[in-house]
Amino acid sequence: MTAEEMGKVSKRLRATFAIASVAFVAVLAVSPVKDYFQEWKRHEKDYVRYAQTRPDTKHLLADFHSGIDQIWLPDMKVVDRCTTCHQGITQASLGDSSVPQPFRAHPVIPHPVKEWGCVVCHRGQGPATEVAEAHETTLAWEQPILPTKYIQASCGSCHRGDIPQTPQLNRGRQLLSELNCAGCHRMQEIQRPAMLGPDLSNVGNKVTREWIYKWLKEPHIVVDASGNTVVDGYQTEEEPRMPQFRLTDQEITALSAYLSSLKSHPFESYKFDPRVLASLEKRPDLAELGQERFRQMFCTTCHSLAVTRGDETKLIGGDIGPELTKVASKVNPDWLITWLRDPQSYLSHALMPRYQWSDEDLYKVTQYINEKLTDPDLLSNVPQLETPTPEDIQLGQRLFLEKGCGSCHVIEGVSPQKDFGPDLSSLGGKNVSQLEFGSAKFPRNIVSYIQAKITDPLSVNTAARMPQYRLTPADLDAITTALLSMTGNPSSSGLERLIVPRPRPGFRAAGAFGEVYERYKCYVCHRFNGYGGTLAPDLSFEGSRARRQWTIDFMKNPQTLRPTLIFRMPQFNMTDQEAATIADYLGMASQSQFVNVAGGNLKQFAPEMAAMGKQLYEVKYQCQACHTIGSSGGYVGPNLSNAGNWLNASWIEQWLKNPQALVPGAIEPRRTFTSEEIQALTAYVLTLKQSGQPKAAISGAAVTGGAK
Amino acid sequence: MATSSIDLALNRLRETRAWKSIFRRGPARTNRTRSLAIFGNIFLHLMPVKVREQSLRARATYYLGSFSFLLFLLLTVTGILLMLYYHPAVPQAYLDMKDLRFVVSNGVFLRNLHRVGAHAMVIAVFWHMFHVFYRGGYRPPHEFNWVVGVVLMLLTLFLSYTGYLLPWDQLAFWAITVGTNIISAEPVLGHDVRFLLLGGNLVGENALLRFYVLHCVILPLVAAMFIAVHFWRIQKDGGLTLRDDHEREGHERQD
Repeated sequence: MTAEEMGKVSKRLRATFAIASVAFVAVLAVSPVKDYFQEWKRHEKDYVRYAQTRPDTKHLLADFHSGIDQIWLPDMKVVDRCTTCHQGITQASLGDSSVPQPFRAHPVIPHPVKEWGCVVCHRGQGPATEVAEAHETTLAWEQPILPTKYIQASCGSCHRGDIPQTPQLNRGRQLLSELNCAGCHRMQEIQRPAMLGPDLSNVGNKVTREWIYKWLKEPHIVVDASGNTVVDGYQTEEEPRMPQFRLTDQEITALSAYLSSLKSHPFESYKFDPRVLASLEKRPDLAELGQERFRQMFCTTCHSLAVTRGDETKLIGGDIGPELTKVASKVNPDWLITWLRDPQSYLSHALMPRYQWSDEDLYKVTQYINEKLTDPDLLSNVPQLETPTPEDIQLGQRLFLEKGCGSCHVIEGVSPQKDFGPDLSSLGGKNVSQLEFGSAKFPRNIVSYIQAKITDPLSVNTAARMPQYRLTPADLDAITTALLSMTGNPSSSGLERLIVPRPRPGFRAAGAFGEVYERYKCYVCHRFNGYGGTLAPDLSFEGSRARRQWTIDFMKNPQTLRPTLIFRMPQFNMTDQEAATIADYLGMASQSQFVNVAGGNLKQFAPEMAAMGKQLYEVKYQCQACHTIGSSGGYVGPNLSNAGNWLNASWIEQWLKNPQALVPGAIEPRRTFTSEEIQALTAYVLTLKQSGQPKAAISGAAVTGGAK
Repeated sequence: MATSSIDLALNRLRETRAWKSIFRRGPARTNRTRSLAIFGNIFLHLMPVKVREQSLRARATYYLGSFSFLLFLLLTVTGILLMLYYHPAVPQAYLDMKDLRFVVSNGVFLRNLHRVGAHAMVIAVFWHMFHVFYRGGYRPPHEFNWVVGVVLMLLTLFLSYTGYLLPWDQLAFWAITVGTNIISAEPVLGHDVRFLLLGGNLVGENALLRFYVLHCVILPLVAAMFIAVHFWRIQKDGGLTLRDDHEREGHERQD
């Protein structure tokens, strides 16, 4: 072949090249075409079309820029392209629910979208520009959008303390702590308290084996013959702190044998003064006297009793201590007396205050409890239990550890297994593939996983040791929210610096006040400097509010300022010395920076001022709508009959200026009084004085009166 | 031969000083000037001045070597484009993959072209090797070029392997973990080689950087040099290995 011939190309080859070229171009064209028809471009076109139907088209289109729109927050390592499709997210005019998604505006929240992006709260895949990739679990993305129902969980990932905007999350955290989940599980920010379940080292002295059997079998619900659930001395509307474990009769027999054999500290029964016994023993109304004393001391502030009115039986009283309707059928009477005199000698971290009992009161109250708070049928369905055999006791001890009892209950000399249940501190951030679903028949996502684990642990793991919890749907969602908020250590996501830590209890009372504070367990109900219960008023600034003498009188005889409340301060029978210690301490330490007590109280008010104040109080501002003076007025605010002895002048002034600055969340409305009006009202309030000691507040309302 | 306007323009171009300074030859009208054109060009001199017609037929080679080379070029071009979007850093590498998918125009196409091209290159190289083997291409005088080819095949595999880590996803991580553990099972040097490859004892940021440099710089350069040698040796070893009957047929026709 010559060189010239070689350059010739056959027709067939030409045709082949032509076809191949066309095919090649066609294949190459697929990619630009797909690029042109991307989902987000379609949504942008839809948005423009939608904006043109709106009255504020011009404004909407001025803010619109075609192309990928992203929120880039390098600090948080967030790249959110959600706003590419969710174009109207910051347009106030598109907030209405008639606006179709994805264009609707976000409700106003403290964190603006442009500063925080979307995925920090909503999860999902921020960089994605496809609907499925952004919202769902896909092959290469396992954190789908968090259902809006549980969105408060995201608040909790950073706000480790409770904030008022997240009631569901707060409730969930409260439940996790109340249900003693921390006994077995490690959780983010849910601390293990000193006492989960009672210390059982000495339980054999306190209750009988039959009662233990009954409790283990049915801590929750006892059903009467007709199948109705009744309040039976155990049940409350809420979950009891001890959940129902799946135990066989044999296991319960063994456990009750073991527990009833625990009598680590023998106690001596208390000997009453024989004169007191002699004077009271024969009285036919002994139980009634005891009941009266029981009510006067406001035991029901912490303990509840079942009250039947009509067909309805319900518990009335507080839930700090156990419910007591049938307590006499539970505890040994001698133990009861020892307990009442000094709860901490039985249980060093008991929350019950150590009252100053007179023999007379103690005898009356214990007689009342033993006679009235009892139910002879309580243990009727407990089988005959023989004297415990050593084998039973041994088996019971083994079961105590195997079933996880030791995670909540302490027994001296028995060391429980550490970390009995799985660590939940990063559960909320787990990928679906990290969860063990077993053969469970529910959707594979983290919400159904958490809920199945709580409501039916066996559905996920047939060997689960977790007890059964019965929660209302709302509570279940609350717990789910709290667990979802535990996303573990965010050091990798750049969110670490955003964490608002949970306030730590920092208040420790020392010295003479410290002793009184511990003895009467003030912190169980009252809050001091951010630490303590929320049942009763916060006392952090009490020294600015109340006068010393009034505080002493109140401690000695806590008559109520708010007669509609069921929960009242118990009468501790304090000594003068103790009451003075408290008043002095509050006066020294519990001062608000806003109230100048020393300066304000020297002020003298002219009688005309008080008269003008009375006028303002009664006519202009009608304070009597909420406050009572003497015998007339409303019940929303505190009774002011003795306010002149009670309140400091400077407190009243500051309070009238801005109540919420002194007590955050106070319901008193903030009015714009002139300073002259404030002076006048203060002058008037200071004239309100009751002479003499008021009578002890005697009321049966605590037990029989209305709802909480 | 009719001279078209293009030919005229070309001829005029060939007369210019610039053209002459570059190519230093007149128009390739005779076999000698054609040969000189090949010899005098750095790229073309790798090619033989003359080839037998049989060796140009599809059935002689199925152009498998050419395909491999074309795929190498394709991978170089797409690879360079991908490098514009890629950071060899943790976890940015994976996020760059996501960006290629979600925001880069034709990013998915670009990435898939690179990926599918790499698969195709491995297939083409192996096919090429089998083909040459069954043609007896390893026999003298082609022994050295056979060895060069084997090295090129290993380079291709190693390029594939190093590229596998770069997306920094689970598949990549575990593939490299398993692969480097296999290396460490090797006696004496195994652990050290693994340490050298990973820049540490586990697949982390150092490993990603090393694999990136290997994949984008070292291995492609080495491969390019071996490819040059491979091409050059074909003509030095007397052209392609043809099947005996083809060769015979060729001789007959030449005679």
